[in-house]
Amino acid sequence: MQKKNIRNFSIIAHIDHGKSTLADRLIEYTGTLSQREMAEQVLDNMDLERERGITIKAQTVRLDYRGKDGELYQLNLIDTPGHVDFNYEVSRSLAACEGARLVVDAAQGVEAQTLANVYLALEHDLEIVPVINKIDLPSAEPERVKHEIEEAIGLDTEGAVLASAKTGIGIEEILDAIVHKIPPPQGEAAAPLQALIFDSYFDSYKGVIAHIRVMEGQVKKGMKLKLMATGKIFEVTDVGCFKPQPMDLGELHTGEVGFVAGALKDVRDVRVGDTITEADRPAKEPLPGYRGVTPMVYCGIYPVDSVDYDNLKDALEKLQLNDAALVFEPETSVALGFGYRCGFLGLLHMDVIQERLEREYHLKLITTAPSVIYHVHKTNGEMVAVDNPAALPPATEIDFMEEPYVKATVIVPKDYVGAVMEISQEKRGEFKNMDYLDVNRVLITYHIPLNEIIFDYFDRLKSATRGYASLDYELEGYRESKLVKVDILLNGEAVDALSTIVHKDRATSRGRQLAAKLKEIIPQQMFEIPIQAAIGSKIIARENVRAHRKDVLAKCYGGDITRKRKLLEKQKEGKKRMKAVGKVEVPQEAFMAILKID
Amino acid sequence: MSWGVYVHIPFCRRKCWYCDFVSAPGTRGQMTAYVKALQREIKIEGRRLRERGVTPPRTVYLGGGTPTALPVNLLLSVIESLREDILALTAEGEEREFTVEVNPGTVDASYLAQLKKAGVNRLSLGVQSFDDGILQNIGRIHCGEEAAEAVTLAQKLGFPEVSLDLMYALPGQSLDVLQKDVARALSLAPTHLSVYGLQVEEGTPLFQQVADGKIILPSEDEAEAMYDYLTNFLPSQGYSRYEISNFALPGHESRHNMGYWQDASYIGFGAAAHSYWQGERYQNTADVGAYIAAIPQDEPIREPEEVMTREIAMAEFCFLALRTAQGLDKERFRHKFGVSLAEVYGEVINGNKNKGLLVENENFCRLTPLGMKYGNMVFADFC
Repeated sequence: MQKKNIRNFSIIAHIDHGKSTLADRLIEYTGTLSQREMAEQVLDNMDLERERGITIKAQTVRLDYRGKDGELYQLNLIDTPGHVDFNYEVSRSLAACEGARLVVDAAQGVEAQTLANVYLALEHDLEIVPVINKIDLPSAEPERVKHEIEEAIGLDTEGAVLASAKTGIGIEEILDAIVHKIPPPQGEAAAPLQALIFDSYFDSYKGVIAHIRVMEGQVKKGMKLKLMATGKIFEVTDVGCFKPQPMDLGELHTGEVGFVAGALKDVRDVRVGDTITEADRPAKEPLPGYRGVTPMVYCGIYPVDSVDYDNLKDALEKLQLNDAALVFEPETSVALGFGYRCGFLGLLHMDVIQERLEREYHLKLITTAPSVIYHVHKTNGEMVAVDNPAALPPATEIDFMEEPYVKATVIVPKDYVGAVMEISQEKRGEFKNMDYLDVNRVLITYHIPLNEIIFDYFDRLKSATRGYASLDYELEGYRESKLVKVDILLNGEAVDALSTIVHKDRATSRGRQLAAKLKEIIPQQMFEIPIQAAIGSKIIARENVRAHRKDVLAKCYGGDITRKRKLLEKQKEGKKRMKAVGKVEVPQEAFMAILKID
Repeated sequence: MSWGVYVHIPFCRRKCWYCDFVSAPGTRGQMTAYVKALQREIKIEGRRLRERGVTPPRTVYLGGGTPTALPVNLLLSVIESLREDILALTAEGEEREFTVEVNPGTVDASYLAQLKKAGVNRLSLGVQSFDDGILQNIGRIHCGEEAAEAVTLAQKLGFPEVSLDLMYALPGQSLDVLQKDVARALSLAPTHLSVYGLQVEEGTPLFQQVADGKIILPSEDEAEAMYDYLTNFLPSQGYSRYEISNFALPGHESRHNMGYWQDASYIGFGAAAHSYWQGERYQNTADVGAYIAAIPQDEPIREPEEVMTREIAMAEFCFLALRTAQGLDKERFRHKFGVSLAEVYGEVINGNKNKGLLVENENFCRLTPLGMKYGNMVFADFC
């Protein structure tokens, strides 16, 4: 295919604004799949993706489209992850395109994530074509939304397409706009190969399969290629495109999007953002923008039953095959035994991995509260990065500590500005900026410790704004902060897995709240259980779980059995996942209690 | 197959203030109509059982309510029906346990003599306490002396099994008073004792009185002291604790009640009666009026309680068996469910063993004395 007939584009949208449905309609309309082959939202492969309505892994599909001018066009759609956790992945997908369809819900309007992704797209000089989706909804207000796009993003909405991916309205216009508004790719066919990896996955027959965009040169079967960041060399065994099933083409030309595979065993060698070049005739430089994997949050994952330790390891290794962003290493906890410290791109990433471990590998797990990475500067001049409160050096060895801050962008209707500011201040946020997107909607920017974001910031925003707030954030940098470790003692013994790092000014109230919450969560047992919160050796809060009431002599005859059993079942509810910590049985929720205090 | 019959008599002279059973005072007319319906239910069921070649039950239990609230001729006609329609299947001479619950305030020598003559061989007397003040506090219709007389009378008439129900943690009852109650009960030399802690159920007059602060119950600690006393003292006097709340001289355990804990089948007749037959549990309509109206029309009155799953069956099998001193018979579990107890409940058993609540040997798994105190905690783990 000639470059002038190729269009590479992605779709950017907020969750639930109809990105995946629109992708489905495009596939259907261009006849890439027959209706019979279409499962709803074909591009979201994982059950989890379909359930949650989110895209976790990028997917691509090549659409063959006969334009109104009679020419045949090759349209490469790159479906990007739609969540803040995967910002870097999104940026790499966008770097593989010349244009993007911006999908905005005709009733909801612009949201924080829409903006974040649009800014990313603008950074990559993409041609952005707005689509106002869901115009079939009774509450649709396309004119207001157009206005909002112009105000908030400064994008001309003259050519915006009004569409309903659900009913199929506007699909042809969208395809035409892609052909006419998005520029064809550039690049020299004769130049040394430069192909951008924007995702990868593991196939048990072919090894690692890299999703690529050929920027310069071309890829052919049998070529010897090199991964520039990791230095790995491999021979191409398969090269082709997705329709959306992989189709072997034998080659990919300049400007095209597709996949390449070649006996690569480890997905960690094939990094998103890396450049593939020729082994014998390497490009002078890799493509810009590569970044290594940088987890933002960590948590401990432990099997409830220690015999599952090896199964957990196997499961993590299998998930890592397809997810180079997941990192883990063995960890031991006095309270929880042997487990793994796992690093994630963000909270959603963490949730998804936990859920997959439980669902796909049938593991019963205890997960500790997530932690950010603290920079601990010791009195001996050494700096250690601490991602587990239990591993914090003793206070006497610490000179000062730094914690990660993010730039948080919140969009809300103007009536809720006060609520957002109140919560953000309370979360140690530093007000940065406020902009009216239109008469009603406001964009607020704060610098907030990531530590506070992971402690229920978004949940609180949502409830204080009746669900209207949308949030996006990106790492802003590290700042010095007065932080202390709050320990929890159950029955007089410190439980390492319950330790948490908090700002000094909040330590006492957090300690109290945590102890009170644990009192609610830990069920009554045969003896009284004191719960204490401590900073160092100083006890800052104390609660008691009273001893379980002893039975009275009660009858149980023929007529009592069903009723009695139902009472017992009720008593058992929520007791399923308990871990014995010393003499105390602690439910799994307890380790997440810190996230549930208000 | 060893199975039992239960007959529910939903009448009493006056409802006790703690009672939440299906029972109420009835008129002579209601009682007559009820017994008539009962006889019909028994007849129809008897025919069905005969057709299926079911062997006769080994135990019969008439409970309530107060069976002896019925005029004696009505109660005798119920027994007569059972004899004709259900027990007639019996092979001659076979030993059978036949219990009637008795309220000491409802019977005289002639009443009990007629029961004896009709083949009743076990009486369970609702004594509760011998302290008249306490009996009044809980709305009983008899005094302590009447109860003692009824026991003596039953023994004189030659009932081989006489059981007393006692209660503790009653309003106004101290450990001291309980000790006197127990001493009095033992002086009467019953073969069997059932002991229950008072439970204040919502909707009872007692519940309201407690809520209004008109009645003060013993504290949790006092109640526990009474529990400790009962469970230590009674066995020391030869009444072994063969189930959580039941004590008997050796060989005098209630066979009917043992059936409930050992997975035996039973068929219940009368309003609100429960049945357990071929692994399913049923309950008859609890509305006495509806029962009386439905039976002559042959309308169904027996409803399944719920869909019995394998998990439910296992849970019930275990927690019921664990109520007994003998405990859970591993071989019987295996035989019934085709899987070993350890495979299903190994983790639960170990957890409770570590807490000192369970012990096991090769054949049985049972509660420790501490486990009996925390029985519900252990049982919940099996559910």
